Parts: sequence; C-alpha cells; structure tokens
Amino acid sequence: MNKNLFLKELKRNRKNLMIWSSIVIGFTFMVLAIFPYMAEMGEGITSLMESIPPEIGKAMGMDADTWSSILGFYSTYYGVYIIVLVSIFTTSTGATIISKEEKDHTSEFLLTRPISRKDIVVTKLISLFTLSLIIYGIQTTAAVIGMQLFAVTEVDWSVFIQMHLSGLVLILFFTTIGVLISMFVTPKKNFMGIVIGLTFGTYFLNAIGKSADAVSWISYFSPFNYLEITKDPTVAFNYLAACILLTLGVVMLILSNKIYGKKDIAG
Amino acid sequence: MKAIKVEKLNKHYGDFHALKDVSFEIDKGEVFGFIGPNGAGKSTAIRALLGLIQTSSGTAKILGHDIQLEGKLLRSKIGYLPSEVHYYDEMTSRELLEYSANFYTTSDTSKIDELAEYFELDLSKKINDLSFGNKKKCAIIQCFLHNPELLILDEPTSGLDPLMQNRFFELLETENKKGTTIFFSSHILSEIQRMCNRAAVIKEGEIIAVEEIQSLLQKQMKKVRVVFKDSPTEKTLPLGSQHEKWNENKLSFEYVGPISDLISWLNQHDLHDTVLQEPDLDSIFMNYYER
Repeated sequence: MNKNLFLKELKRNRKNLMIWSSIVIGFTFMVLAIFPYMAEMGEGITSLMESIPPEIGKAMGMDADTWSSILGFYSTYYGVYIIVLVSIFTTSTGATIISKEEKDHTSEFLLTRPISRKDIVVTKLISLFTLSLIIYGIQTTAAVIGMQLFAVTEVDWSVFIQMHLSGLVLILFFTTIGVLISMFVTPKKNFMGIVIGLTFGTYFLNAIGKSADAVSWISYFSPFNYLEITKDPTVAFNYLAACILLTLGVVMLILSNKIYGKKDIAG
Repeated sequence: MKAIKVEKLNKHYGDFHALKDVSFEIDKGEVFGFIGPNGAGKSTAIRALLGLIQTSSGTAKILGHDIQLEGKLLRSKIGYLPSEVHYYDEMTSRELLEYSANFYTTSDTSKIDELAEYFELDLSKKINDLSFGNKKKCAIIQCFLHNPELLILDEPTSGLDPLMQNRFFELLETENKKGTTIFFSSHILSEIQRMCNRAAVIKEGEIIAVEEIQSLLQKQMKKVRVVFKDSPTEKTLPLGSQHEKWNENKLSFEYVGPISDLISWLNQHDLHDTVLQEPDLDSIFMNYYER
C-alpha cells in the first residue's frame, strides 16, 4: 500500500462522503422519527394494510406486523432505501476510483511515478473500503441512536445486528461489482446510471420475484434474495450466502487487478 | 551500462504497427534527441519505456533495469515531462508538486519554491486555472524534484514562451553537466540542434537514422528567400539548389550543401533582403531521406 496515494484518495473523496453521509443520516432519522406517529395510529394502519393487495405488501417487505415495532418499520426502509443509498455511494466510488484517473488523463501522471500497478489497485481498494466502512459505520450509528430515541418498546438488538450484517455484505458486494464494471466500460461514460440501475434494479428483481409466484425464479438473480432484511427473529443469518457473495467479490477484485495490470494507458 | 538500451521493440494496435523493430542506445550523460513528425511513434516509444503501454515484442533496459520487470525501480530514477499535461484539476500547483515529490525517496521539496520562482509560476493557483504554458511549467518543475538520473522529455517546449524556453534549456544544460542523461523528443529540429549530441530519427514507427547532430546539420536543407535590388541578368544558383521559383526580383529555392558556398553566392549579388529558413520536418524527410 502507498500511504501518499491512500491519503490523497481519502481527501479527494471526502466531500462526496460528507454529502452521502448527510443523506443517509437524514433519511435514517426521518424514518425512525416517523415511527411513533405510525405506532399511535396502530389499528387504523393495520386495517389499511389489510386492504393492500398482499403481492404489493410482499414486494415492499411489509405485512401487518410492520407497524407494530420500530424494527419492523425500520427494516422495510433499511432493506429498500438505505442499503441502496449507501450502495450507490460505495458502488459509484468503486466504479470511478480507478477509472477517474483515466477519464481525467491523470493515469499518465500516476503510472509514471515509482509505484507498481498492483500497488495502485491495492491502495485504491483499501481507500474504497475505508470509505465504504466509514459511511456504513456512520449510518449504523445513526440508526442505533435513532432507535433509542424513538423506540416505544424494547428493541431486539440481535435482530438489528443481523439486519445490518446482511446489509454490509450486500453493500460490499455491490461495491466490488462497481470496480469490475469500471474495467470494461469506457471511462468517458457516466457510471451513475449503471450504478443506480444495478442497485435498484436488483432490488426490484427480488421484489417482483417475491410478489408473484409465477416469476419467483427472477429473485435468484438478485443478491437481495439471499440476505433477507427482516425483523423476523426466526430467520437466521445466511452465512453461506454471505460467504459466496464475499468470495465472488474477492474474485471480481482479483480479476480487476489482472485487467488493470495489462491495460494500455491512452495518451 | 547504457542509460537506455532498446532492442527490437514492437507495438501493434490490432493491424496498426505503431513501432517497428525500434532499436537504439543512449550513453550515460548524453543528451540524445528523438526527432520525427507528429504521429511518427515518438510518444508511443516513450510510453512503452515508461510502462504505460505493453510492448508486443522486444526488450528495453533503462539504467540497467528491464522495463517490464523493474518498472517501479526505474521510474524512481526518471523525470518524465509529458507533451500534454493533465493533472488533478482540484489541486493547486504546490499540492500537486508535493504530492508528486512524496512518491520518491530522493525528493528535495525545497526545490519547489526555487524552481517556481525561476519559471515564474504561481504555486497557489489551482491546476484548473492554469494556462497551457503554466501547466507545462508545473510539469517541468515536477520532473526535477527527485534529482532524476534520466530525464525523458516529450515535446518539452510546447506552450512555453521563448524566454521560458531559454531558462528551461539553461536548466537542462546545468543538469546535464551534473551527469543527468537527457532523452529529448521533439519535432522541432532547432531545439534538437541546440541541445543534443546525437539524435535518432523516427518515421512511421521505424528508426531510419541515428546520427551525430553535426552530420545531420550538413545534410540539412535550408529554404532560401532572396529579394534582389534589380532582377539579375545571370540566373545561375549555387550547387545544391533545387525547386527554384522566380517572381520578378524575388527568388525562393531550397539549398543543401556547405553554408559557406551559399553565403559567398549571396555576397556576389546586390540584395535587398534575404531569409534563411529551417524547413519543416516533412520536407527534410522528402528531400533527404527519400533521395
């Protein structure tokens, strides 16, 4: 790892990190702050839920219980928006952290310094995962604080931890896909569309598969299918899926390193 | 040990043969020119030496280190000045130079201010706000900070005004006296003449000559324009003239041969004005290498 490059990457991305952190902190607090009002409405909401077609409810990860505990309420938002928001930041950073140098023609500067391409990739990945863990840590902390402020009843923290571990695996998996994509897509492209499509797209694949039995096979193409974000304490953490997704992630990073090692840098 | 030793370097881009069996050697302490028209393969060869592109075949060693296997080590001894400067827009020149210096163990950051003053570069300005010439100055300073053993300069003077070009050449001369080897790539013949002992001429990816600058000069064609006071009756030109064009009392032609012969011929006539011009490289290739 090259310390000089590492520090520069953190500095270069700190503005984006601050913006996205504020977004996820704000969103987390907003969701948790709404909960007490929802809980007050209690029965009204339950009867409202019954009027919603069960397919839609399943797709959104909601059921009648959703509104009865803060974890249930939080899980529907965490599973959809928060993981996707954090992933958009980490995946787009992953997609640009190496390719931005090419887009801006600064790779020539970087690669003519006494640093090997492998060191560049390793250092950039360490920076990327440092940034990813920072935003993940910030969001988790915000959620813990929010839970304590707004929970009406006791919170089952083991369920919370499992939920957030599944979230972490998903976020890391998306991040590595971002890195690999940047090796194939021309750096002149804007990666944001691909990144949003990837994160929201795979979420909706899972949602569609869950809501209609006829197309349940669609879910298999979505990582969300394997790591369920739920407040149901009987659903165990899927260690196998987590291991497979993380291994796939490592394979993608190794592949990216190989591709970058042989790449011709255009002038 | 040679400063640079290139043997049969080839680079293909699909069907396009960008470098064809490029071979040359540069001694330590030498100022070696690399000359050819735009698109001849000068930058491609340099990019291959620096490890920016993978070569298709052939070997090259810089300061005894293989470019494929020991890239990191050899780049620590090289100062590279790119023809087109692209740096991090959001950094100031000072930040960029410090960032660059931190990659090397041999850097002397006190040189930043010294050289910025010498080249009149405002270090507090963002790269984004710098003009083309000022970016070039920043790039020049960058390649001297770590006391490199070898300087690789790709079109170093583009964007510099004549005053700065002069200061730059003076700096190069001082560095060379200290033992720094200089590999100087350019399409401007006069720069190569001023700086270099020897030069390789590259055309369409092939090295077509490696010559002493002196012999290159002797073979060099000049464009001559003459305005006579009165249209001369006798219209014979000195030996080695070609492509003569008359327009009343104005004459233009191309001349290859000893310069003293040309001057004594000019002396024999009553002249209003005369201009001796260096031809562009294309005409040198047309007139000398294809003859």
